[in-house]
Amino acid sequence: MSVTRLGYMHARVTDLAEAKRHYCDTLGLRITLEEPGKLYLKAWDEFDHHSVVLEEGGVGMVKMGYKVETDEDLSTYENAAREFGCVTERMTKGENPEVGDGVRIVLPSGHLLELYSQMTCIGTDVGIHNPEVFPRHLVGVGVPRVDHCLLTTSDVQTTERFFIEALGFYPTERLQTTLEDDAHLIGTWLSTSNTVHDIAFIEGPDNKLHHWAFELGDWSAIGRAGSIFAMDDVSVDVGPTQHGITRGGTIYFFDPAGNRNEVFSGGYVAYRDRPAVTWTVDDLAKGIFYVQREVNERFTSVLT
Amino acid sequence: MGSERAGIVRVAPDDIVVTAKKDEYILSALNRSGYGYRTGCRRGGCGICKADLLEGTVTYPVTVADEVLSPTEIADGVCLPCRAVPHGNVVVQLRDDRIRCTSSFLASLAARESRERTT
Repeated sequence: MSVTRLGYMHARVTDLAEAKRHYCDTLGLRITLEEPGKLYLKAWDEFDHHSVVLEEGGVGMVKMGYKVETDEDLSTYENAAREFGCVTERMTKGENPEVGDGVRIVLPSGHLLELYSQMTCIGTDVGIHNPEVFPRHLVGVGVPRVDHCLLTTSDVQTTERFFIEALGFYPTERLQTTLEDDAHLIGTWLSTSNTVHDIAFIEGPDNKLHHWAFELGDWSAIGRAGSIFAMDDVSVDVGPTQHGITRGGTIYFFDPAGNRNEVFSGGYVAYRDRPAVTWTVDDLAKGIFYVQREVNERFTSVLT
Repeated sequence: MGSERAGIVRVAPDDIVVTAKKDEYILSALNRSGYGYRTGCRRGGCGICKADLLEGTVTYPVTVADEVLSPTEIADGVCLPCRAVPHGNVVVQLRDDRIRCTSSFLASLAARESRERTT
C-alpha cells in the first residue's frame, strides 16, 4: 500500500497556443489528447497517458493527481483523510480522461488532490523491449518525466502531519525557525518513494503554486536546458544552480502564463529510516540556492 | 531594423526616461536601457510589477489573466509593464518601489542612442 508518485499537474494558462509552444517545443512534452481549451501531455519516459494538463483561462493550479498502488488504497486513504478532518469525494472513471476511479481530497493547505490507481498506459517513447536509452529525436529540452511540486500553505505543520499520518509520506528535509522544541515549521520536503521529494510545502498563502518540476539526468542536462531557454526567450527565474535542500541541480523558470516550472537533477536517494535533515532560517538562503546564498524577492512573492 | 521608436516611457516620480521600440514591452524597454525594479515572472502571471499609468495608453498583445489585472484595475489606470506595450508616450508610476539604475553602462548606451535619434 502506498502513494507512488506525482502523476499529473493540472494548471491554468492564459493562452493555450503559447503554452503549447513552451511545453511541447521548448520542454519536449508530447500531446496525447486535445479537448476544446485543454491539452493533455506526457514526457518521453512516462508510461501513463498524461502528466500535465493545461487549461486555457487564468493562471495557477487547478489540481494535482498522485497515483496510488492498488484500488484498495483509494478507500484506505479516503478514510484516513476523513479521519484527519479533510473533505473528500469520490471521482469516477472518465471524469478525467483516461483516468480511473479515484478520491478527491481538499488538503489542509486548500489544494485539491486527486488519488487514482489507474490511468491508461500508452508506454514510453523507447518501449520496454530492448529499449534505446533515449529517443533519437527529442524536442527541445526533452524532459523525461515530471518529478515533484512545491506548494504554499499557511500551516506547514498541519499539512505535513496530514501527508505523514494520512498518506504515509515521510519528511526528508525540514526548514524551521530554530533547533528548539517550540520551533515553527516553515517548510517541509516529503517523499513517498526513494526520490528526495515527491511534494514540498513552504509557508505562504493557501492554495497557491510555487512550482512544479521536471526531472533531468544531471548537471550537464541542466546547462543544456538553460541554453534552450535562451534560444526560446524563456523567462528564467534563477539558475542554473544547486539547492542545498535536496542537493538537486536546478533552473527555475516561468511558462508564458507566469506559472513557475523547474528542471531538477540529482538529489540524493531517500529512504524511510534516513533521518530528516533540518535547516534553520538563519541559513535559508544557502538551503534554497546553495551557490549564490541569496534568496531573491521572487522566491517567496511570485506564486500562481 | 526592428528599432522603430514607439514612444517615450517616463517613470515617475524619479523622472527616468527611456525609449521604447515598436511592439516592445515597457519592462523590456526599461531593462534594455539599464533600469530595473522589483519584478516577478515577467510573463503577466504574478502581478508583482504592477504600476499606475499616469499618462498615455498601452495595449496588451498577449492575454493577461483577469485575476492578475482586472478590467476594473485597467479602468482605474493600473498597468502591467511586463506585458504592456506603449502607444505613443506614457508616464508610469511604480507602487511601493523606486526605479533603479541596474547597469550604468546600458543606461549610457541607451541615452546615447536616444540622443542620436533625436538629432
